[in-house]
Amino acid sequence: MLLSRSFRKFRKSKLALAAAAGIALYLAIGIGIFGGLVTREEAFERVGPDSVPGFGAEQKPEKRFGDVDFEMTLVERALKRKDPERALEETMLGHRRPAAVPVEELRKRLDAAFEIYDELEESKDLNREPELWPKLAELETAAARLWQPLEGWDTFSQHTKLVLGTDRQGRSILLRAVYAIKIALQVGVIVGISAVLFGTALGAAAAFYGGWVDIVVQWLYSTLSSVPYLVLLSVLVFMFQGSAVEQSLMPLYAAFGLTFWIGPCRVVRGEVLKIKQLDYVHAATALGQRRWRILLKHVIPNVSHLMLVQFSLLFISAIKAEVVLTFLGLGVKDEPSWGIMISQAKQEVVNGFFWQIGAATAAMFGLVLAFNIFTDALQDALDPKHIA
Amino acid sequence: MWQYVVRKLLWNIPVYLGILLVVMLALRVNDPVWGRLGKNATQEQYDKEREKLGLKEPFIRQYGKLLWGFDLGRESWDKPGRTVGEELAQAVWPSFWIALPALVLTTLIALATALVAAFRRGRALDRGLMAGAVVGMSISYVVYIILGQYFGAYRLSEWTGRQIFAIQGYDTKGSVWWAHFCLLPVLINTVLAVGYDSRFYRAVIVEEVTRDHVRTARAKGLTERAVMLKHVLRNALISVITHVMITLPFLIAGEILIEVYFNIPGMGRTLITAILGKDFPMVQGFTAVFAAVFIVTNILTDVLYALVDPRVRLS
Repeated sequence: MLLSRSFRKFRKSKLALAAAAGIALYLAIGIGIFGGLVTREEAFERVGPDSVPGFGAEQKPEKRFGDVDFEMTLVERALKRKDPERALEETMLGHRRPAAVPVEELRKRLDAAFEIYDELEESKDLNREPELWPKLAELETAAARLWQPLEGWDTFSQHTKLVLGTDRQGRSILLRAVYAIKIALQVGVIVGISAVLFGTALGAAAAFYGGWVDIVVQWLYSTLSSVPYLVLLSVLVFMFQGSAVEQSLMPLYAAFGLTFWIGPCRVVRGEVLKIKQLDYVHAATALGQRRWRILLKHVIPNVSHLMLVQFSLLFISAIKAEVVLTFLGLGVKDEPSWGIMISQAKQEVVNGFFWQIGAATAAMFGLVLAFNIFTDALQDALDPKHIA
Repeated sequence: MWQYVVRKLLWNIPVYLGILLVVMLALRVNDPVWGRLGKNATQEQYDKEREKLGLKEPFIRQYGKLLWGFDLGRESWDKPGRTVGEELAQAVWPSFWIALPALVLTTLIALATALVAAFRRGRALDRGLMAGAVVGMSISYVVYIILGQYFGAYRLSEWTGRQIFAIQGYDTKGSVWWAHFCLLPVLINTVLAVGYDSRFYRAVIVEEVTRDHVRTARAKGLTERAVMLKHVLRNALISVITHVMITLPFLIAGEILIEVYFNIPGMGRTLITAILGKDFPMVQGFTAVFAAVFIVTNILTDVLYALVDPRVRLS
């Protein structure tokens, strides 16, 4: 095996192995999401009141009052419809449904709850009036009677969805952060592989054939790298504005694909320039092998380790660039990605709500850190020039 | 040496021509005029707008005009009455006041960190610093900016009772305007960049340490400090200078995020606003200027490189 010695060196580093395990975990979750572990609909579904903190953390009375108000309004709205039975059937909050009692009974319960509600509504600031707090607890009990108690799996599922709280639209932060793994892996893998393949093809061809091919390739990457990449990405996204694919991830892929191949192209070109001079390549030429066959059979396999390192470098860059572009309003539009979550969280942070930004950052941190460590270990093992 | 410089100069001409071509083509793939006027515009309006922009002229003439003066005299679509050139002149200063201090601060801190780490290579301090750099690099820029603003501008003023750093905006009035509006973005920017730079500088220094002349210096019995400062740092500075020069034009663009978030009317924010508003003349003009700045710094870097590194002169 070509890489066996390097592989052993890699395996010796415990940190690198831990990082590889971490990446494998993310990959497994990502594949699971492709298989339907978390669907896109679930990531958009309302599961509770807005801005609920995670782990059932204590909330201020004013916020608790607002949440009860929200839950009562949902039932009230259904009861006011022409066909309350059907409306009630369609009302759902995550796994919770309105209590399965006759409409009249539900109306009575709602009225009872509203009696307490009206008393509390007169208060200006519940946070500062502790004498009203028992009343609030009473209201919460009364409002809870409007809803069917959860059973078995549903209880667990609902608790899981709320474990990291909800965002401003009452959607589960956990589900969104997990679903975003799919988007991140998708962007990272597609961009990484296409950029490495494209860059390697151009870089190897440039170095191996030399002459005008080399000049054109060098001109191409000097040109594209002469515009700061965020500017180039922005211009490319501008290019897609108003077109049919604007809402999809296509502009993002195109923008990354066009700029990210430069790195691997440079590295591979430099390496192939050296390999080209080696004896075994001369020997192959002397044996009368065709040029492109030498390139494919003897040169490319010897830069494959560089391709691997470049892939994992680009993977990290793509994931991070996604967040930045999305933040600027140029990236992902209607999928729950880490970029979208972090961008939305800027309003919440001002109000001291850190659950969304925390969840997205932590999920992303795990993946990027694992890849950073993994890349360093790869370079240690494969690239003799790399300095540890 | 002059041969080297001239060769570099000549090489940059087709590169510059290429950038402008790429930018012009990219901006014309989707008809910018329709994008601007919307689908409901009449053919008449469309023709008039095209005429005004000079988009009816042959492509090669448009190209020539952009090449000659960046089309700085064109009127912005979003800000009637203002030309691209005026907007540019206005946007340069806020960017400058953030980018330059941030660059200086980052370079100094990163270089010091790298020296310390390289000096203690393989020991706990080195490992700690580099682990910190990797951890820091694994968090998105955006998170630093959001949290930096929250703690630096909101919480700090709550604790101290005074608005030390502005939450956002930019103004040059008052005696402490720079500290008030720019210092917090500069600090955040430094935190963002220092991890990457110190890793890079450390690698450069460590590579230098393994060179023969350093071994000779050690064998002569020089102190470790003298070896580091006189023999290692001086040579490493070549790479440091090149790195700083190359990052210069990227800095202006790198401010984009910070400028957008802190609402600072610099070049980055102006460009993003133009892109989101489909302001075609502004996008084209700004990108062309960015590219030109890059080319100029590129040439300067090459000349500087030739001046400090004798090996380049000989090759």
